[in-house]
Amino acid sequence: MAAHLAIDLENVAKTYKTPLRESIHALRGIDMKVHRGEVFGLLGPNGAGKSTLVKILMTVIRPSKCQGTVLGQPVGDKHTLMKVGYLPEHHSFPPYLTGRQLIEFFGAMNNIKRTDRKRRAGELLELVGMKDWGKKKLRSYSKGMRQRIGIAQALINDPDLVLLDEPTDGVDPVGRRDIRDILDRLRDEGKTVFVNSHILSELEQVCSRVAILVQGQVASQGTIDELTAGQERYEIELSPESSPILQAFAGKSAEITEHTLKLLSVEPRDVQPVIDQIRAKDGVILSIRRTRPSLEDLFMQAVVDPTTGETLAPGAARKSS
Amino acid sequence: MIIQTSALFLDAYRDLNSKKLFWITMALSLVCVASFAAFGINEEGMSIFGMDIPIPGLNSEVISKEVFYKGVFLNLGIGIWLTWIATVLALVSTAGIFPTLLTGGQIETMLSKPISRSRLFFTKFLTGLLFVALQVGVFCVASIIVIGIRSGAWMPEILISVPIVLVFYSYLFAVMTLIGILTRSTIASLLLTILFWFLLFMVNTADSILVQQHEAMKLRVVLIEERLVEAEQNAAALYISRQRADGNELPDGYEPTQEELDTANIFLPILRDQKADNEEFAKKLAPWRQGLYIFKTVLPKTQETIALLGRFVFSEEDMEAALRIGADDDDRSEVDDETGEVDVSSADMQRITTEAYNERSLLWILGTSLLFEAVILLIAGWLFARRDF
Repeated sequence: MAAHLAIDLENVAKTYKTPLRESIHALRGIDMKVHRGEVFGLLGPNGAGKSTLVKILMTVIRPSKCQGTVLGQPVGDKHTLMKVGYLPEHHSFPPYLTGRQLIEFFGAMNNIKRTDRKRRAGELLELVGMKDWGKKKLRSYSKGMRQRIGIAQALINDPDLVLLDEPTDGVDPVGRRDIRDILDRLRDEGKTVFVNSHILSELEQVCSRVAILVQGQVASQGTIDELTAGQERYEIELSPESSPILQAFAGKSAEITEHTLKLLSVEPRDVQPVIDQIRAKDGVILSIRRTRPSLEDLFMQAVVDPTTGETLAPGAARKSS
Repeated sequence: MIIQTSALFLDAYRDLNSKKLFWITMALSLVCVASFAAFGINEEGMSIFGMDIPIPGLNSEVISKEVFYKGVFLNLGIGIWLTWIATVLALVSTAGIFPTLLTGGQIETMLSKPISRSRLFFTKFLTGLLFVALQVGVFCVASIIVIGIRSGAWMPEILISVPIVLVFYSYLFAVMTLIGILTRSTIASLLLTILFWFLLFMVNTADSILVQQHEAMKLRVVLIEERLVEAEQNAAALYISRQRADGNELPDGYEPTQEELDTANIFLPILRDQKADNEEFAKKLAPWRQGLYIFKTVLPKTQETIALLGRFVFSEEDMEAALRIGADDDDRSEVDDETGEVDVSSADMQRITTEAYNERSLLWILGTSLLFEAVILLIAGWLFARRDF
């Protein structure tokens, strides 16, 4: 048990049995470490097991196998949940409550005293930009507004660890930026944030570390730098008239796409001769960029079956027993 | 723990408060209570909406105002309104509590809080009883006030209705909770619970018929026996006097044989046959009655639970007075000497049936019913605690 880890999982598995005795392996031996104070992103295609994993951490689902800790306590320990906040993916809050009442209700469920939860509810309504809507019933809220209130309720207990399952689902671009700001603020306050999201560009902006889950297994895990190590390159973009020059570089540790030459090297020294050659042939260089794979590139690499080269089918692995 | 429990109850109240059906039921309850004020009793008979209606068998000479209003409260207020109509409305209102919790996207958030599943389950179950608790509470308090003002008879003892109706409803709500957890469907849990309630009603009806018939047979045997003893004494006296009149010497204290008695009263064999028939019929009914009693032991006793109100609210004197309602001097059980048939009066029938039900112990009525409820809730709670959501 490492004190610097907010989540430390080993060999977490979940198998469902269907009425026809078919086994559905939602999770197949997950090993995962989330450091305290970081924003951690969990991504994967539909049915990869992301929500199942989060639900196991939140005691909503019982694992078939599980070794690990959350905030230093065994997974499933109810008392630990006092220091954890959670926003489920497909939540539905009682429409008869106002935003403030909902936040206060979940505050009470966290055993927070009345005066504290009233004060905190006011602060959170302001944090999520819902101050003017606190006294209105949830039935009058848009999906984005309910999502903001959902995030507020997840923070009512001033948690050390926050798990957000698709937090920007249904939220407009302004709201998404606001949520990113909230995540940044939580990180600055030293909280650990665990985010499940399909929106890779958002995760890339806020997460310090990510894990990619495919068919119930961790395909890769680490910081963006770690995951893209060895995959950085230089891209030299030429004018359309100059693009025929690129054919001369085919097969020389380079990829050619229309007007762009991608050099599989991160050494500036390796790029200079190439520039000289292009210039020598009167080629017009529009731009030279140092790039690395995006999170989307990493994701796509992870969901491709290395043996067949085809994209893995979404969903969990099935096996008849 | 108290903070969480209070929050769950407050949430349940807010849920009820947002439902039109809750307020409609409350309004109808108050209309029902207000209607008590429309009824009155005086020396001549009843008064309805201020109009005096002379009724010889029902006036303040026969029963007191207090007993009259207790009867109105128990038979109309509890017997019809709260245990039938309001119960259906309560079932409709509360059928969705667990299915909505399980399927409506709330369960993940609830389970992610530091509260054990078993405590969450049992607290949610108790909050489901809030609908009935509030309805019955308001109904009883309003009834006490209205009846008190109308008649001057203040009857705080009818507050016992609150726990009794609550216990009665909890049997049904436990079943509805189990079905709700199994099916996760509001409609299925409502319909199957009403079906279960209907089955209980059928069992109770069969039980009532059996108890009534069996008790009536036993009463007939007793009445015929009494009549037979009296008739045989008369026949013996007649036989001896006739024999002596014919000059036959009979010793003092002579006891005529059955054949000799039958010559004095030709209807005695008929009485004996009727007594034997009734005894045989009562003997045949006994195992059926006992079997149904055993069967009912494992079921919730809805009928008997509500009937406990009568035991707690009515004294023996009140019961006697109530039985006199509408009865006159001719209304008594009689044995026809010629046919041996017994006409059991409605008052006697009521009395023997009530006595038979009163023999059923509190432990049997509440103990076994609550045991049934506990088993159902344990199964439901186990399923709730074990299930993945």
